[in-house]
Amino acid sequence: MNGWLVAATVLLAVGFGPVVWGVATGPLERRVVAQNFGTSVVCLVLLLLSQGYARPSYVDLALVLAVLGPAGTLVYARLLAEDLDDDPPHAHALTVVAASAAVVVVVAMCLATGAGRATVKLVLIGALLVAGNVIASRALSGGFPKGAAASRD
Amino acid sequence: MTDALTLLSLLLVAASATAAVVVRDPSRQALVLAVLGLALAVLFTVLQAPDVGLSQLAVGSALTPLLILLSVRKVRRRGQPEDGER
Amino acid sequence: MSRRLRMWVLATGGLGVAVLLVAAAVRLPRFGGGQHPYGERAVAASLSRHTAHVISSVNFDLRAFDTLGEESILFGAVLGTVVLLRQTRDERAVPPAPARILPALRRYARIMLPLALLCGLYVIAHGQLSPGGGFQGGVVVATAPHLLYIGADYRALEHIRPVGLYEVGDAVGEAAYAVLGIAGLLGGSAFLANLLPLGTFNTLASGGTVPLLNAAVGMEVTCAVVVLLARFLDQAVEIEQGPAREKGKRS
Repeated sequence: MNGWLVAATVLLAVGFGPVVWGVATGPLERRVVAQNFGTSVVCLVLLLLSQGYARPSYVDLALVLAVLGPAGTLVYARLLAEDLDDDPPHAHALTVVAASAAVVVVVAMCLATGAGRATVKLVLIGALLVAGNVIASRALSGGFPKGAAASRD
Repeated sequence: MTDALTLLSLLLVAASATAAVVVRDPSRQALVLAVLGLALAVLFTVLQAPDVGLSQLAVGSALTPLLILLSVRKVRRRGQPEDGER
Repeated sequence: MSRRLRMWVLATGGLGVAVLLVAAAVRLPRFGGGQHPYGERAVAASLSRHTAHVISSVNFDLRAFDTLGEESILFGAVLGTVVLLRQTRDERAVPPAPARILPALRRYARIMLPLALLCGLYVIAHGQLSPGGGFQGGVVVATAPHLLYIGADYRALEHIRPVGLYEVGDAVGEAAYAVLGIAGLLGGSAFLANLLPLGTFNTLASGGTVPLLNAAVGMEVTCAVVVLLARFLDQAVEIEQGPAREKGKRS
């Protein structure tokens, strides 16, 4: 077991354990925030696992999650907008934590891999993940405002 | 020590799967289901089955929530046929 | 049959299955070991057919017939959904109102749509080289256009998603798989036999029929998921109870 796998284990325990707790209990606002944060945590865990097992092709899992994970959160933000409208969740601190963790992991992996196509892919995954997380957080805290929407036919 | 990773992912899957059963409201259940999907993807990767993990991520992260929430919306709308935004 | 007798039949059946399962599990190779009789044979067969990713070789070559069955299950399931969720005579379709959405979200959806499409196509194309393939990539490709429903509204999605075309694509993907199988029967030895030139190991065109079958599955899954979501979206967003009105009636 190398350092990357230890890091993945620690991140999984410290980051994803609370996510499971947060999504299973409490008000809806907290659950959507937990789900959004969970996407970032698992994406980083998958990146660390790929490095730990020395299998560059495992990075594809993180890529797919970085693309679809935020889309999933946007689905909740859009279709649960009426339920979230009363007390929209603001989770700036968690967004900052997720973004900085992503930067740390991606930079560390880039340094370990060296320049090349793999680095470009890693940077792309990191950028997609951070952008997706920020956008999904904004969407949850009132991305689909009510108002003009009711004026149908 | 590698066992710790396997054990941790198994525990996380068991915990989130139990939560998915215990939570009763379908829209909240969809959220727990998404997190269960993430835990499963990690477990599959740890067990060296990235193909299965990829399938789980592809289906579980956006498609399943969309299908569940659309069904919830349809069922809710039945009670109030002339509501506003959709 | 009395309730008591039924319970006995159930108990006997359950016990039988349990015994068989335990008997099967006792002789299994050890968990997490480096040796596995099936694994070794599958890797050898995969390498002999120039397919770099063994899982794809198992799915689309060694056990391609099973994949035909799986593909048909999805095809049948979507067919059933299309029939069940159709618009009945006592329902009417009301075009949905445009939704109010933050500009940043609209931009994100517009940028992510082509990226997600590209990512899905990449996962399909690399199916025989790295983890991925027709099913996984197909779902990603099919999810991509639905970013427009999230980031704009249902009408924008309907503009770029002619459902009829996707229904045809679904059938073509399914048929292509069967046709490739029959080609194997005619030109080679057996149904779904791998009869094409195997190509250079670890390149996009390697593996004989594997990339073609992979592409057929990719097309089928993409179209099937789009059609499935279209039916769900129609029901959730457009179709309402009550007789058809002049205004909201569909052509």
